[in-house]
Amino acid sequence: MTIASDPAGLEPTIRYEDLDVPVSAPCARFEEFDKLREQAPAHFGTALGNEFWLITRMAEIRATYQNTDAISNRAVVPHQPDPPYKWIPEMLDPPEHTKWRKLLGPFFAPGAVDRLEPKLRQRFDEIMDDVVDRGRCDYVADVALRFPNTIFMEMMGLPISDADQFQVWQTAILHKGASAPEAAFQAMLEVNDYFAALIAERRRNPREDIVSIASTWRIDGEPVSEEDLHGLCLLLFMAGLDTVAMQLSYSMYHLAANPEDRRRVVEDPALFAPAIEEFLRYYAFVTPGRKVVKDTEIAGCPVKAGQMVWLPLVSANRDPREFPDADKVIIDRKDNRHLAFGAGPHRCLGSHLARRELTIGLTEWHRRIPDYHLDPDVEIREHGGQIGLDNLPLVWNVRG
Amino acid sequence: MKIVVDQSKCCGHARCNAFAPDLFELDDLGYVAVSEVEVPAGMEEAAQTGAGACPERAITIL
Ligand code: HEM
Ligand code: SF4
Repeated sequence: MTIASDPAGLEPTIRYEDLDVPVSAPCARFEEFDKLREQAPAHFGTALGNEFWLITRMAEIRATYQNTDAISNRAVVPHQPDPPYKWIPEMLDPPEHTKWRKLLGPFFAPGAVDRLEPKLRQRFDEIMDDVVDRGRCDYVADVALRFPNTIFMEMMGLPISDADQFQVWQTAILHKGASAPEAAFQAMLEVNDYFAALIAERRRNPREDIVSIASTWRIDGEPVSEEDLHGLCLLLFMAGLDTVAMQLSYSMYHLAANPEDRRRVVEDPALFAPAIEEFLRYYAFVTPGRKVVKDTEIAGCPVKAGQMVWLPLVSANRDPREFPDADKVIIDRKDNRHLAFGAGPHRCLGSHLARRELTIGLTEWHRRIPDYHLDPDVEIREHGGQIGLDNLPLVWNVRG
Repeated sequence: MKIVVDQSKCCGHARCNAFAPDLFELDDLGYVAVSEVEVPAGMEEAAQTGAGACPERAITIL
């Protein structure tokens, strides 16, 4: 490849800003990645002036996530190679990362999720009781965002009454961040204050929640700092709420728009398990980045220390070199080793909890509202930043 | 038939176990706890399915 032999002559061919537009039609961004993947395994570009590589295919994306020697988590978004913040454990590298994962592991292990299950069910039932007789709802605001939020409040030992406030912050930061950056910044300041107060409070009056327990941990003999506790709270807020809500929303979008797939899961609920994996594969909206810390080669391209790499999971997940009929949703797909929860040591810590929430959320909805459709009069919008659906207008017949 | 797991590659997705719980035992944190397993007769397909589910490609069937 000529570009590989002449790195000095590399011309940027893509701009991160152009790929991260504030609002578009549902799935428009996923299709943009599909195009770029079929053009080349790697694209060189700039992200607000910083050099980065977009890696597009499964084999290279997986290998890059696994390559902790040359690839660091100290920066995880392409346009911020030197971030002034440190989310924990997301932005740590081994061996420090490994220590945090060991300490956090028990809260998110399969057994811990089993213990949470009755609460998850009860909470989802309450949400369903609230919407079932309405005949219509905005699934995003009325169902999807409410469900993981209350579980988060529970794990963090926060009053459920604050859940609505979290929903407001989350929408401002993650859904409208690209279109209204000032409001997003303001919300972030409020979230910071909230967690600072929480950490101080739990230091004084420890309880059974993650924050209280984490504040007693020692890493290499040193007590965990305020700053690190803060980084942990922020990451759990950013990683654990919107992700589940958006995955539920894309799954419901699919089932509303594809009545044949819906009929199949309603008639045979055993199909929910593979269908959930297929929705995770096909609608994988998390697009992490990494910082290169050692010169290396990816897909034959010279990737230099200091540059960023962008590794969109959806691009790997829809790679036809990895999956037969990759561009089709096949709800009973076999050998579905998708990367919706990432790969390598930063594999989503909450993946077991997330899968349980998805299972309960989708099976319980369909048990009570098996038949519904999209409201043709309301436009569905997709936002950038952290990709997701703004809204999902659903309509159904109320029985009785 | 034998299962060989490269435990250094295992990142705890627990997908192998979701398909073949008897073959792929997990530790308390959800990481695979075995490195070599003789597959009992009749469980070959489960072994293949479990291996095929590993996102890290940490499992080989010999
Ligand atoms: C469907 C829902 C979810 C999806 C698709 C998802 C996806 C991801 C992905 C792709 C990563 C890796 C990021 C990277 O490699 O840079 C990640 C990391 C993480 N996720 Fe999730 N996640 C979900 C739900 C959750 C939940 C419910 C929680 C916890 C309450 C959670 C907590 C975390 C944490 C703590 C990390 C950082 C792990 C580390 O750096 O070691 N996630 N998630
Ligand atoms: S599926 Fe792979 S990564 Fe996951 S627990 Fe099993 S061996 Fe480990």
